[in-house]
Amino acid sequence: MAERMSVAEISKGKPAEVAGRPRPSLAPLRNFAAVPGRGVLLTAGSIAIAFLSWQVLSTFIFNPFLIPPPLEVIRTAIPMILSGEILADVSISMSRVLVGFAFGSLAAIVFGVLLGRLQLLHDLLDPIIELMRYLSPTAMIPIAVIWFGIGELSKYFLIFWGTFFIVLVNTIAGVWRAPIARQRAAECLGANQLQIFVLVVIPSAAPYIVTGMRVAMASSFMSIIPAEILAADSGIGYLLQKSSMLLQTNRIFVALLTICLLGFVFDRIFRFLVARTLARFMSFVAVT
Amino acid sequence: MLQLDKVRKVFPAAPEPYVALDGVDLEVADGEILCLLGPSGCGKSTLLNVLAGFERPSAGSVSCRGAPVRGAGRDRVMFFQDAGSALFPWLNVEENVRFGLRVRKVPKAQWAGIIDNYLRMVDLDRHRNKFPAQLSGGMRQRLQIARALAVEPAVLLMDEPFAALDALTRRRMHAVLLEIWQRTGKTIVFVTHDIAEAITLGDRIGIMSAGPCSIISKIIDLDLPRPRDLADPAVARLFNDIERLLAPDIARAEERAAH
Repeated sequence: MAERMSVAEISKGKPAEVAGRPRPSLAPLRNFAAVPGRGVLLTAGSIAIAFLSWQVLSTFIFNPFLIPPPLEVIRTAIPMILSGEILADVSISMSRVLVGFAFGSLAAIVFGVLLGRLQLLHDLLDPIIELMRYLSPTAMIPIAVIWFGIGELSKYFLIFWGTFFIVLVNTIAGVWRAPIARQRAAECLGANQLQIFVLVVIPSAAPYIVTGMRVAMASSFMSIIPAEILAADSGIGYLLQKSSMLLQTNRIFVALLTICLLGFVFDRIFRFLVARTLARFMSFVAVT
Repeated sequence: MLQLDKVRKVFPAAPEPYVALDGVDLEVADGEILCLLGPSGCGKSTLLNVLAGFERPSAGSVSCRGAPVRGAGRDRVMFFQDAGSALFPWLNVEENVRFGLRVRKVPKAQWAGIIDNYLRMVDLDRHRNKFPAQLSGGMRQRLQIARALAVEPAVLLMDEPFAALDALTRRRMHAVLLEIWQRTGKTIVFVTHDIAEAITLGDRIGIMSAGPCSIISKIIDLDLPRPRDLADPAVARLFNDIERLLAPDIARAEERAAH
């Protein structure tokens, strides 16, 4: 980083001192932006603040039974982790999310790309889509249980449902926003309609599709929980439900923390994979 | 090379259809630079789109080398002002040029030679692995030029390609374009609203009247040697004449834009 100098310093060639007395300096604070590992420090600080206020709230303000203190929760978590109980619940919930999300995204991309291109089909189906996308996965739980039972299929369906509409709407928007100039340029260069579609329109829509998928991923994490609370005999949601019935607030908090961590980790993994595989499609060129 | 005969272009609009072009006659000779100059909203871009084949004329005819224009053809390549959206941002410089060779099924063995040749011509061969987002505005326009030249069109249709560049870069692009034109002998139709640009580049300048119902009201032959210096009295006089010629139309265009 470049050295900071005032005009006076430049002309004198060394830091100015006022009457031999060292100036009170803000430099350490100002330079914090450049401290290596600043992000890690801030994250650690944030977590420390959270734990501290959690501890204060549960011991001094509320009943520790209603809000179990952090150390109590960790003490509950350790045997749950060691016995593999948490892992079993996590993996079953995650497999539900992943299967539903993968199929939901795939179907939405295929369908969205077609609707984005075929105006008549879009105009015909858009009113239905606009109505149906207000049916959240949670609203669909009762009927999903009747259709598919409380096994895996109903959870796949619910996650699929939630993912599908989000990715669909984004895919259509992305296809529509593929710049006309780019399509015409491709046409001039000799591309036929199919080539324009596959080689130009779809790559142009990629940033929108990926953004839709990221939002859908977050939403899948939200909807798997109610689905498992209401209609499952395994998974994190089921753990929440069972612990609630038994008034085990400790275990409820372990489950809640697990959800936080999972969502965070999954989003990071998703972003990492996108950066690794789709980076070139994600760069927008600033409008000149 | 290019011929327009009584071309009319009407766009459906409310409350009444908008007549953008109302009987445009134009002939562009082989290997010339024709600049189309006019106030904003005079239908210059519409005319270019008709020439490119993106828009069908509502009446009249367009032909290229005697054959009627029915759509975008491989002999006419369009250039866009916004290179950011015209280029393929997910392809690097080299891949952007390769795109046209691939879709035109140019034999693979020739790709490297063609790409090298045109990237060198626009002085981008050192940047061949960069992506459009990493290039400056002028470099992006040069990439557009290389990408277009690589498919060897007879005609370049340029829609205010340098209007968004800063003045210094624009001057450099004029030199680049003229040099390429001298080396390749392409026919160029260049749309601009900048009188100095039209004078710098054109063999002829077609003046378009303000819309609606635009026509090419005047064609000026520029029998001045290049490079043209705006400080040269003959060039300066021409500049003033064109400015005076355009003045009433610019006023009309402004009135229209204000509703």
